[in-house]
Amino acid sequence: MRKFLAVVKHEYKKIVLKWSFLIGTLLFPIIAAGFAIVPAIIFSIKGEPTRIAFVDQTGKIAPRLRESLAPEKILEKARQAAKNSEMNLNASQQEQMQRGTEQLGGSFAFVDYSADEKSLEQIRRELNEKIIQKELDAYLLIPQNFDSPGAKYEFFSRKAGDFVGERTLRDALNEAVRSQRLADAQIDESKLKALSQNVNFEAKGVDEKGNEKDSDSSFIAAFIIGLMIYITLAIYGQAIMSAVVEEKETRIAEILFSSAKPFELMMGKLVGVGLAGLTQLAIWIISALVLVGIGVAQMSAAGISIAIPNITPLMVVYFFIFFILGFFIYASIFALIGSMVTSVQEGGQFSFPPIMLLLIGFYFSFAVIRDPNSSLSFWVSIAPFFAPITMPVRILSEMPPFWQIGLSIFINSLAIAAMVWLAARVYRVGMLMYGKRATIPEVWKWIRQS
Amino acid sequence: MTEQNTTLKVENVSKHYGDFTAVEDLSFEVKAGRVFGFLGPNGAGKTTTIRMIVGITYPDEGKIELFGERISTEMQNRIGYLPEERGLYKKMKIQDQLRYFAALKGVAQAEADKRIDFWLERMKLAEWKKKKTTDLSKGMQQKIQFISTVLHNPDLLILDEPFSGLDPVNVEFMMEVVSELKAHHKTIIFSTHLMETAERLCDDIILINKSRKVVGGTLRQVKAGFGKNLIALRAVGGETVLQDKSLVAKLTAHADELEIELAENADAQILLKRLLESGAAITKFEQIEPSLNDIFIEKIKEINA
Repeated sequence: MRKFLAVVKHEYKKIVLKWSFLIGTLLFPIIAAGFAIVPAIIFSIKGEPTRIAFVDQTGKIAPRLRESLAPEKILEKARQAAKNSEMNLNASQQEQMQRGTEQLGGSFAFVDYSADEKSLEQIRRELNEKIIQKELDAYLLIPQNFDSPGAKYEFFSRKAGDFVGERTLRDALNEAVRSQRLADAQIDESKLKALSQNVNFEAKGVDEKGNEKDSDSSFIAAFIIGLMIYITLAIYGQAIMSAVVEEKETRIAEILFSSAKPFELMMGKLVGVGLAGLTQLAIWIISALVLVGIGVAQMSAAGISIAIPNITPLMVVYFFIFFILGFFIYASIFALIGSMVTSVQEGGQFSFPPIMLLLIGFYFSFAVIRDPNSSLSFWVSIAPFFAPITMPVRILSEMPPFWQIGLSIFINSLAIAAMVWLAARVYRVGMLMYGKRATIPEVWKWIRQS
Repeated sequence: MTEQNTTLKVENVSKHYGDFTAVEDLSFEVKAGRVFGFLGPNGAGKTTTIRMIVGITYPDEGKIELFGERISTEMQNRIGYLPEERGLYKKMKIQDQLRYFAALKGVAQAEADKRIDFWLERMKLAEWKKKKTTDLSKGMQQKIQFISTVLHNPDLLILDEPFSGLDPVNVEFMMEVVSELKAHHKTIIFSTHLMETAERLCDDIILINKSRKVVGGTLRQVKAGFGKNLIALRAVGGETVLQDKSLVAKLTAHADELEIELAENADAQILLKRLLESGAAITKFEQIEPSLNDIFIEKIKEINA
């Protein structure tokens, strides 16, 4: 036992006291915070207002356009967009990005330009000249036949890449033209607006007990949890493998085996590295909770209410249990591979199967998120190798009955026993084989022999 | 010698790997406080035997007794093993590695730290304590590995080619250290194929080849048992005595001395006495022992022939 603890301590310190661990552990929350905060900061930098001139030969559109591009109006629209996006957290990335920019909008300064009695050619020349002189950023030509379907609205801009401003302008223009058409058709605009109001659609999940819950935020939390487990298992599994390979490559194994039982050595390694993984995960989870807490506090201070996933302490406990289960399953596979091969590079090639299993588990978690109560979700959250990822995802999406969680823990514990048993047999022979990689039949022989 | 003085007893031990026989019916004893040379060419089965002694593998047949008991993993704390294939953690500080190896042998950290300081000082490596393996030369690493085998103050030391890769100065130094350990009543099993070093260090030897024992015993016995009774003589006169066929089987003249192969059952002392009686002036009369190297080569050839 004392030797086992010595191995645990050694393996733990070896990982935790490394710079890479410190950086990785701290970097993750920083990157996560960065992803949340940086885009908001960047888009909130509003830049100079676009100096724009309208050339309106009809005189009908420009005033409306000016009105709808006024700062107060833009702000109001942004609020509306914010409200929409809040309801639609699982929209695609691109969509979310667009919405984000809508919320921010562009700002405009209007430049007066008198186009009286000038030909189109002349107007263009003059305005282009102004743009070159940097007196103007953009101009819009509103055609005489603004109402006909073939009418061409021409927009010229120095800032061709300013899609935010362009989008704002286009929306405002559409609105101005539409309201002009309505006015021409003698339809009351305010009435129409009232009539075409969107319905207020709110999606709520209902859990087994009949309680309502907010579904959107759990989707994201479940996804993040699945990703976190997937990444940590892959990283720490490979850490086990390279630790095993190092001891084999440097021939330290022979000294170790003359000091302690191979099983003690292997288990000590698994537990030590596992504890390092748990340490990192705990830091991440705590910092995530703190970050979310701060974020929510700031949001509510700003008057925006945001739904946070309802995570109970029991869920956190389950989460750690399944992480530990997954860790031991995959770590013993990686230890087995490490004792078969002769170098880390060779191990890299052989770690494809376990990585594949992890990845499949991760992909299954999408199916689980979409329908946590389907029979597919049931089976993958119980199956060994997949359950460590899919079960926590399922628990977060929708708490399954306890017997299913218990069954999953039981089955995966059996899987651990089997994998550790296999790995221990390969480990104690493989670690003393120098020079060449073991073949699968050889490994099979070791398993049966010892 | 009594049983208690036997550190290690190997009895009819065999080990097979599939169809390959690594060790066959091997028996020998190692007495306490002596240096035991475990000799043999590469692939003779030395490493396999040693692995069985230190409890890494187990014999298929026969038994191994250590300190009067059957070999067990608990006994590993009393053995210091320096394998031929050995290494250190590349990116770990010397002190941390030595602490770990000591902990694996059941030494408490405070005690381990004291011994680490002592041994680093003894090996003249004290200033490297906080350095990493990659900063050390190969010879230094070898000394660190040696320290890791003696940190837990083992009663039995098994050194497999301990001097390979060391320069002559360091070989000399390490031999001195081994002698010190012997003076502290440690039993040392010394595996090598360098016969000169074995001859200098070992009290007892065993020579194995092709998984079997060839010859064993005290160094003296082995040499005496090798047969050829040669004498180097430098003398003026006494020619008549040398013609006596009952004493001298063969006479070979070298540059300034004669090599005499004694006849069967002839005694070197009688020859010396007869020479003196005949009035010969003797400046050199030396019984030539076969070197371990000669025995090694001769024996291996004999078997392979």
